[in-house]
Amino acid sequence: MRYEFRIDGEVVEVTLSKVDDIWSLSGNNASILPDGRIRLVSTDGSVFFAHSAKVGDTWWIHIGGHTFCIDHIEPGAAEEDEGSGLTAPMPGKVLQVLVEVGQRVEAGQPLMILEAMKMEHRIVASQEGSVSEIYFSEGDQVQQGVPLLELSIS
Amino acid sequence: MSTILVANRGEIACRILRACNEAGYSSIAIYADNDANSLFVELATTSVRLEGESIAETYLNQNQILKIADQYGADAIHPGFGFLSERADFAQAVIDAGISWIGPSSKAIEMMGDKMTARTTMKAAGVPVIPGEEIEEDDEHEALIAIKSASERVGFPLLLKASSGGGGKGMRVVNSSEELDDAVSGARREAIAAFGDGRVYVERLLSGAKHVEIQILADTHGRIIHLGERECSIQRRHQKVFEEAPCPTMTPDLREKMGQAAILAAQAVDYVGAGTVEFLLASSGEFFFLEMNTRIQVEHPVTEMVTGVDIVREQLRISEGEPMSCGELSIRGHSIEVRLYAEDASNNFLPAIGPLVVFKPPVGPGVRLDTGVREGDEVTPNYDPMLAKLVVWAPSRSEALQRMRRALEDFVVLGTTTNLRFLRELCDQEDVINGSTDTTLIDRAWPYGWSPNISNSLSEAALMVAGISEGSGKHRKSNSSDASIDNGPISPFSTLSRRYP
Repeated sequence: MRYEFRIDGEVVEVTLSKVDDIWSLSGNNASILPDGRIRLVSTDGSVFFAHSAKVGDTWWIHIGGHTFCIDHIEPGAAEEDEGSGLTAPMPGKVLQVLVEVGQRVEAGQPLMILEAMKMEHRIVASQEGSVSEIYFSEGDQVQQGVPLLELSIS
Repeated sequence: MSTILVANRGEIACRILRACNEAGYSSIAIYADNDANSLFVELATTSVRLEGESIAETYLNQNQILKIADQYGADAIHPGFGFLSERADFAQAVIDAGISWIGPSSKAIEMMGDKMTARTTMKAAGVPVIPGEEIEEDDEHEALIAIKSASERVGFPLLLKASSGGGGKGMRVVNSSEELDDAVSGARREAIAAFGDGRVYVERLLSGAKHVEIQILADTHGRIIHLGERECSIQRRHQKVFEEAPCPTMTPDLREKMGQAAILAAQAVDYVGAGTVEFLLASSGEFFFLEMNTRIQVEHPVTEMVTGVDIVREQLRISEGEPMSCGELSIRGHSIEVRLYAEDASNNFLPAIGPLVVFKPPVGPGVRLDTGVREGDEVTPNYDPMLAKLVVWAPSRSEALQRMRRALEDFVVLGTTTNLRFLRELCDQEDVINGSTDTTLIDRAWPYGWSPNISNSLSEAALMVAGISEGSGKHRKSNSSDASIDNGPISPFSTLSRRYP
């Protein structure tokens, strides 16, 4: 069985074999326990009990005291469009807009201040450019992931 | 006192409601609409919905809360921490309504709540304070001028603090005079938004100092005691993440000195109930008053673990006018608490939201979990992102650290990003292991930000687990809400509701 995942921005192909109830991958063997956990015996003989749960396309995996977020790439899914838009890292309120449309900005320059969870967060320019769009003004509520401003890179 | 209204939510509401249940009091929980399914609502004898949406309309709405207290016959109000817990006007309104306020007098809250008044009061009582200057200016422009001139006398680096501040809000580190203008306006803006009071004052930044606080209890029979110290030096964004008791470098002599200073501070405001006096402890052994928290504190469990005192039960007892029940105290073993936050430690501790699809806390000897959430809950941006406090106790500090490492590795939270791994790696820091903790520890350990240390073989194992999970169709079975309609065999509920002729 072959699956494609994205982990830390990197696309990885995982090919598993399965004989009876034992799954294998390069010397690691694993089986699914009645409570849904996965018991994994690695090549060096150490045993892990892993938890997994899927939210959207993302598998949340807990193994060996670490938590991983691994995106499943559906076969044939198109790569996401990578724009230069700056998006809200979380839902909150726009406290201050520090730039104007057309203004030149340097990488690292604060563009907007958001308030979320009672703390201030600065939205900073990821690279040098000029502000081409500002979608919100002071006092606006914003949802997570919405574009706040656009930079045109020149 | 028979019915206690808990004017709070989340983890601390659960802690207090459980104490009420154990002590045989009736309890009232109040909740906003977005908390209707929260754990604390289940734990109360009666729960009452708050009208309104924003925090100001609900948990901070004094009139509405007083009306509910009256309507449902509450004869005491426990404010927990945060929200109205340090609002002197609310404490007074509660007392004026003939209801017991589980906390100190409104005057004590007022004197300690205004950080500048507290500084002045402590100086007068002979408690050492951090070198700095009080600035009473309210006007932004005037304040800036006054702060500029004070900064020349105090020197850089310095700390700007909101007079009504707490929880790191309205606080700024200023390293040089060029940063001052921005820092003042930022601190003022945050302070006005959080407390409605923009006054900020200046203190010298004592770097390399430990944050050590003394828990005190005072009853109405004239007894006032300290329960030893907690060290809470390890902070990120001025919020504590790792707390322990006792402080690893404490000596019995210094404990007694700091304990006596804390008692002096409490006596200066005729304190009643549980309170905490916070100090900065310099490496020289000198200590300075920071502030007094006139309420139960987030990290109270570590003191409970090493002294055996149930601080919340003592609060209830003191409120009844009884003498506190604890006798001679001694400190036994070592306790550590870490705060589990929904946040991305690898991205500047940015708060995170999401569903708690799996929430499996560790168990075993010496492990305590104080939380307000459970599996299936949703982490929303409406409230503080603290999910739980994980507390361990062990006979020695090194065993407590070992136990904490084990407990953190056993803790499973899936669906929402948390700081679990950050906390786990924190326990491996050399300065944490040998007790050389100070308030700059996190910045020193990870000057360029933290990112997890993951071996390739573990990533590979995780990918394999993802593959097996996807391949076995795990996500299409169990737990999904649409699978529970067809129940198959007879459910006990339909049997119970069947009518027999």
